[in-house]
Amino acid sequence: MKAITIADQPWLSMKRTVKITIDGIKYRLFRASVTVAVITLAVAFLMNILSESLIKRNVAANTRERIQTSRKIYDWSAKLSSPGSPESIVFETADASAESDIYKENQQFAALSDADMASFQAISKKTVFLINFFEDLDYAKRRSMIHRAEGLGILEHLANPEAMETFKVALSRIKSIHFEMPMDELDKLVKQYGTITDITNKILAARTQAIAAVTAKLNGRTLLQALADSEKDFGATIREAGFIFDQQKTAPEISTQAKKLLDTLRLEKSMEIRITHIFPPKEENAKPEKKVEFPFRQLLAQQANVLPADVNVVMMWKHLESKKFAARYLTKMHEVEQLAQKSLTTEADGSSIVLEGISAEEAAVDDLTADRMVELARGRTENAALVRAERLTLDAGKGFMGLGERLAWLLFVSMLVCGIGITNAMMMAVTERFNEIATLKCLGALDGFIMIMFVLESCFMGLVGGIIGSILGGIIGLSRMLVSFGSAFFTAIPLGDLMLGMLISILLGTLLAAISAVIPSYKAARLAPMEAMRVE
Amino acid sequence: MTETTSNKQAAVQPENDSKGRRVIIRTVGLRKSFVMKGVVTEALRGIDVSIYQGEFIAVMGPSGSGKSTFFNMIGALDSPTVGRVFIDEVDVAQLTAEELAYLRCHKIGYIFQSYNLIKYMTALENVTTPMAFGGVMPDEARERGMSLLELVGLKERWHHRPIEMSGGQQQRVAIARSLSNNPSVLLCDEPTANLDLHTGQEILELLQKLNKENGVTIICATHDHRMMNICDRLMWIRDGHIDRIADRADVHIEIGGIDSH
Repeated sequence: MKAITIADQPWLSMKRTVKITIDGIKYRLFRASVTVAVITLAVAFLMNILSESLIKRNVAANTRERIQTSRKIYDWSAKLSSPGSPESIVFETADASAESDIYKENQQFAALSDADMASFQAISKKTVFLINFFEDLDYAKRRSMIHRAEGLGILEHLANPEAMETFKVALSRIKSIHFEMPMDELDKLVKQYGTITDITNKILAARTQAIAAVTAKLNGRTLLQALADSEKDFGATIREAGFIFDQQKTAPEISTQAKKLLDTLRLEKSMEIRITHIFPPKEENAKPEKKVEFPFRQLLAQQANVLPADVNVVMMWKHLESKKFAARYLTKMHEVEQLAQKSLTTEADGSSIVLEGISAEEAAVDDLTADRMVELARGRTENAALVRAERLTLDAGKGFMGLGERLAWLLFVSMLVCGIGITNAMMMAVTERFNEIATLKCLGALDGFIMIMFVLESCFMGLVGGIIGSILGGIIGLSRMLVSFGSAFFTAIPLGDLMLGMLISILLGTLLAAISAVIPSYKAARLAPMEAMRVE
Repeated sequence: MTETTSNKQAAVQPENDSKGRRVIIRTVGLRKSFVMKGVVTEALRGIDVSIYQGEFIAVMGPSGSGKSTFFNMIGALDSPTVGRVFIDEVDVAQLTAEELAYLRCHKIGYIFQSYNLIKYMTALENVTTPMAFGGVMPDEARERGMSLLELVGLKERWHHRPIEMSGGQQQRVAIARSLSNNPSVLLCDEPTANLDLHTGQEILELLQKLNKENGVTIICATHDHRMMNICDRLMWIRDGHIDRIADRADVHIEIGGIDSH
């Protein structure tokens, strides 16, 4: 005969709880795998977006740098042929750091002291802000504020008290526009218009003089040819004229790029070369017979198996990537070079040959080799990839892990949808098992045990789904980026950031699953056993 | 918590009836109503009954009479709408969740019509789960589980899962499980309803053995007339009321039915 005493039920050990949970998952493997699949999808999506934006951000940074370097030659040839405009001077001064060449160069040209140059930069920054402010406005609003003024003309326009009054009235009337500059600062800026034009005019005059000095020393070369020699005498010429041109750093870069550009132009020009064979008339009074030949086009057409008329420059570069073809191309170029040295060739049969589309100097092969041609062709492909990458990464945000505002929103929504999906899956799983829960409670399970069991189960599934999903999403993201960026991709794999992203997605997946399980399991655990058993 | 526990027990001294039997379960004005879609169904309409320690009581009644509801009330599986349930003179309604779990784990064994075994556990694991909840060490639990399975004649099949066993075997595992923590009271809700005649007989014999040899109080809801051969008392429930309570000796058992008057 046993008497009944009541005491508190002890807690089940964690080891035992984990074992029971895992047994349960194993038994319902299919059901569990469906839940895991939902979590996997959610995490894969998250990881995909994360990895893509991370890589995009890195590719963007890399390409911007490389493209800027590769465009130096254009900057210099523009600089050495045109002095620019007052606005361009203001803009470049505003952006430049005090250490940069352009800053020092302008300071030299304008003959300003350090303090004066610094104040000029400060004014430039405000001016840039003002110009950009009006640039962003709608046409009608802009018109109502500053009429037709543009660029530095805006300052000149606003220097007129009447115009300034119109601007202020319009600004106070249009509430949607937020003008961040304080009004007294604007007044001060407007008064400095004279100073700005003085300095910019000084710089422009000095530049014009310097350009004239450089041009005088071209000695019949084109600017590009001269720049190719900048490691030799031309570098000194540029410096003497007053530009800041570093012989150690800038000159080799510029001369390499100039040579590359020259070779590129020479190869592209070969497309236009034509050879005309003129045969003497066979009968009297008949016209001489002509046969026109495009040597390089025909060579390419043969290689690419198309009609000569369909050949284009892109095709040429593509085929020049093979060294064998480049060698053949070079041989042809030597032939043409020889041909160009004689102005008119008469053959044994009385026919004559005329070379058109190229001058004798241009036809000179010089030091061009097959290897160099292959290198140029490959560089071109790489450059095309860079340009493509630059275009594709325009939207790469700078914020958290490189997510733009749009992506962050997308991510948030997707997480929400997945959270609901996981909650639904967990709720289903719990509801299905009300009977089991009731039985366990009859056997003496604590409410806490039931909750822990379900949250643990959910965590396991979240962890598994998170790991699979993050790997899957990472692979998809990486391969997608590889396809869109090609070679530019390899230099921009941010391994550390990717790992961090993976960790975040796994944690988020697990956490989301665990949180989703809390509500239904709490509901289940709180019910009296028979109430739970009645629920079907 | 021990202090409050002792208070709860000291509140009412165990009440003995005229024959000196100790009351183990007592209900006072027990009512239970369910609300479904706005319609109130009264399952129990005031039940006052005392069940004594060591007795074997069969609860009979047609379907929907409130038998199972009564069962869940006295087994601390559901809470009454009105009225009280005393288990060994402890008011069940006043127990905390932890104490309720302790009561269900150690003091009451449940046997269900549909066995309710945990599907993903082996027979042995099913039997030892209540021991684990009760804090018994795994080795000891395993030993005791095996001896319980031996008692119900399933020692050889300890590693089988419920799905690999017949209904009778499952019910026997369920009985072994209900005995795992040496309960004072065994609640059986139609334990033989899903079994064939022969297996049902085996189960009944097992219950009788437990009652006689171990002194376990058995409360058994049933339609099975064979139950009347082995029980001490019979209780009829009709429309949520106690229709009649009688000792077995006073009941005439006839072929084809029972004359309850």
